[in-house]
Amino acid sequence: MRNRLKVLRAERNWSQADLADKLDVSRQSVNAIETGKYDPSLPLAFKIAQVFGLSIEQIFSADEAAQAAE
Amino acid sequence: MGETNPRIISNGRRYMGNMAVASVLYTAAVFGGAFAIRGDNTPQWVAIGAALLPLLPALLMLRAYLIFLNGLDEFQRRIQTDAMLVSAAVVGFGSFAYGFLEEWANFPHLPLIWVFPALIGIWGLAACIIRLRYK
Repeated sequence: MRNRLKVLRAERNWSQADLADKLDVSRQSVNAIETGKYDPSLPLAFKIAQVFGLSIEQIFSADEAAQAAE
Repeated sequence: MGETNPRIISNGRRYMGNMAVASVLYTAAVFGGAFAIRGDNTPQWVAIGAALLPLLPALLMLRAYLIFLNGLDEFQRRIQTDAMLVSAAVVGFGSFAYGFLEEWANFPHLPLIWVFPALIGIWGLAACIIRLRYK
């Protein structure tokens, strides 16, 4: 799964630690999600969307391989 | 850069504190148990009690870990549970294989008391390796 977390965070001048505090998760978790190494659960994805004031679809999208398979 | 979330930091500190208390009690239980069974005429009930005494602080350690686990976020919990699975597989298959080696190939007998420390040790090691994968 791909995400725009890094871009959205940069637009708001938030550090990973800032975002981690807003989401009440560890900074390592934010880093793992940003780098695409960890896909968040649905509740956390909703929380991320809420923090950015966007919908989940505006932040997360299926990667090319998954899209091609559909 | 280290952790900055106050809740996560406080969870880690509480874990260290709880484990420190449990470790002191464990050490006292081991030495106390060894003291209780000194000599040749220790009654069986005393020996059983002394042998099981260290389990109480070990249960406190388990409680400390479960509190710690509940205080983690979903990503960190995933690392811990993956590590737990790796450790269970390594120790489970390792002890199973060694059991055959003991029985059929005359390998030296290893006491069962080492299973739990091996489980904990490999769990910790696996957690470090899994965490590196996400860096």
